[in-house]
Amino acid sequence: MNITELNSFVVQQINSGVVIIDAEYNIDLINHFVVLHGGVKKEQAKGQNLFSLFPELPEHWLKRKLQSVFTLNTPAFSSWEQRQYIFKMPHSRPITTTNDFMAQNCTILPIVEKGEVKQACIIIEDATDVCYYQQQLNVAMNKLEKSNQTDGLTQVANRRYWEERCIIEFDTAQRHDRPLSLMLFDLDKFKNINDTFGHRGGDQVLVELAAKIKDLLRSADLIGRYGGEEFGIICPNTGGKGAAELSERIRKEVQMHKIMFEGQAIFVTLSIGVIEISDQYKSYEEMLSRADMALYQSKREGRNRVTLYKA
Amino acid sequence: MNITLSEDQRDCLQELINVAMGQASDKLARYLETFVHLDVPYIELVGSDTLPLLFAQKYNGSSVSVVSQGFYGNDGIRGESLLVYRRDNAKEVASLLGYEPEEANENEQLADISSILTTTFLNGLAELISNQMSYSAPRLISSLNTSLDSHLEQLSFNWELALKVDISYQVTDYSFNCDMILLIPGEAIQNIQSVLDRILEEY
Amino acid sequence: MSIPVLICDDSALARKQVKKSLPQGWDIDVSMVTNGREAIDYLRANRVGIMFLDLTMPEIDGIGVLEINKAEKLVDFVVVVSADIQPDMKKKVESLGALAFINKPVSTDKLNNILKDYGLL
Repeated sequence: MNITELNSFVVQQINSGVVIIDAEYNIDLINHFVVLHGGVKKEQAKGQNLFSLFPELPEHWLKRKLQSVFTLNTPAFSSWEQRQYIFKMPHSRPITTTNDFMAQNCTILPIVEKGEVKQACIIIEDATDVCYYQQQLNVAMNKLEKSNQTDGLTQVANRRYWEERCIIEFDTAQRHDRPLSLMLFDLDKFKNINDTFGHRGGDQVLVELAAKIKDLLRSADLIGRYGGEEFGIICPNTGGKGAAELSERIRKEVQMHKIMFEGQAIFVTLSIGVIEISDQYKSYEEMLSRADMALYQSKREGRNRVTLYKA
Repeated sequence: MNITLSEDQRDCLQELINVAMGQASDKLARYLETFVHLDVPYIELVGSDTLPLLFAQKYNGSSVSVVSQGFYGNDGIRGESLLVYRRDNAKEVASLLGYEPEEANENEQLADISSILTTTFLNGLAELISNQMSYSAPRLISSLNTSLDSHLEQLSFNWELALKVDISYQVTDYSFNCDMILLIPGEAIQNIQSVLDRILEEY
Repeated sequence: MSIPVLICDDSALARKQVKKSLPQGWDIDVSMVTNGREAIDYLRANRVGIMFLDLTMPEIDGIGVLEINKAEKLVDFVVVVSADIQPDMKKKVESLGALAFINKPVSTDKLNNILKDYGLL
């Protein structure tokens, strides 16, 4: 084969799409890849308008892009990460991928003749594999992030994540001058439960209570396991009065909730400390230590009660 | 590697960049159908390890968007162009392109306008030095909530020197600033120096 | 008598490019300055037949020079040689009395054509 035949062989057989159009968007050349995946006939394509041969192309957008190639004599690019595909084509991995169409990286190159851009060459690369692995990776990363934030036993936020959220909510509340309340609560006489029912019994109590309380919260509230049998709740956009009412509801619900463990009923109560934000606190830690003081006051005064911290 | 440009080389490069920028602005104005005013870009050759500090000071923790794009020319001239936008500028930049709002997301538009700025300018520069450039696809390497310094720190492992070109574009109705940084490996700087010397000899 | 020519550009390369692009055998006497301030000082002290003027310069830029020249009529023929080549800029310098506008980079052909157009060659 001579060099022209070799060039044409490569263009036709390469595993990427090649479409060449003129300034009126009429097709001068398409290669085998486009014929195969685009479901068009080669003999129909030549001379036909790009947008009538591929009616699903994003016409206005692509024309603007092609204009930049023709007027500026610069290449243009499109990445699957921003736009999954330009040419709607099925891909060759139907089972493993979640996307219906071939992910594509496209390059549009100006073709210059006598100092003027006369044609544009669109090169379509199949990026379905990359796209698929990236999606798998994202799913895995999300799971990992979630598990990094979650307490293994109770499935509520762990202490690290809960405190991270405290910092964010504290800053937001201060910046926008919005209310914010924190609650700390402790299971009363948890040691007795462990002594009577064993650690498995104690664990079950923690798991059931965490789930029960989570159900009582609004979507913006966040419960986290602060220590062994100690939990915290962040209540954004909530003043002390509202948070104390919510605490009271939680206290009552928990008191009436029967937990069954190996045929025996377990009842538990909570001591709760509540605090609302005020200008005098420089950090969420200052709020937390006062919530802790309120919690201990609840304990001292006979447990199974709510105390709202008063400065 | 310690490379410095001589005064003549610096003057020559500055002039070439000015001319290329002027041509790029004219082309952009025609494409964007608006008047583009361009301040004389200030160029500086810096060790890439000082970039994180320079930019940390300039952007002072505000969130930025960075688009990177590789370029490759003849005579061993190659490198990577970074366009850095302040995040609050990015929206306006993107809206220049003339896409319908629902047609392209902000990241895509930012990658697009960056590629247009970079390739229009570098094509012009290449022509002035009788060269020809190819480009890789633009990549958004940083967006909301990521710090520029950590990206630059990563990049500085790959590049010894950086030709920092401060560009400030002003467009009728909008004004936006972005920094263009051309990261160029040491041996490519030497290749650029020989090109500059060749031009200086001609005059 | 040779024509006094002034080249005003802050870039050494650009000044050399203009000088080298001037037609061979033209009887001229070339002087060079590196910014608008120097150009004005020179023009006030010396007779100049034609000035090649850059626009983007420190101290006083090309527009500033044109404005002062328009008021003081220091030199008749000013050819702007600029990297800023947008149509709006061309209009602006023409309104300030510039004779012609050359897009950088300058070349012998571009210069010759303009000088011929205005009968300076």
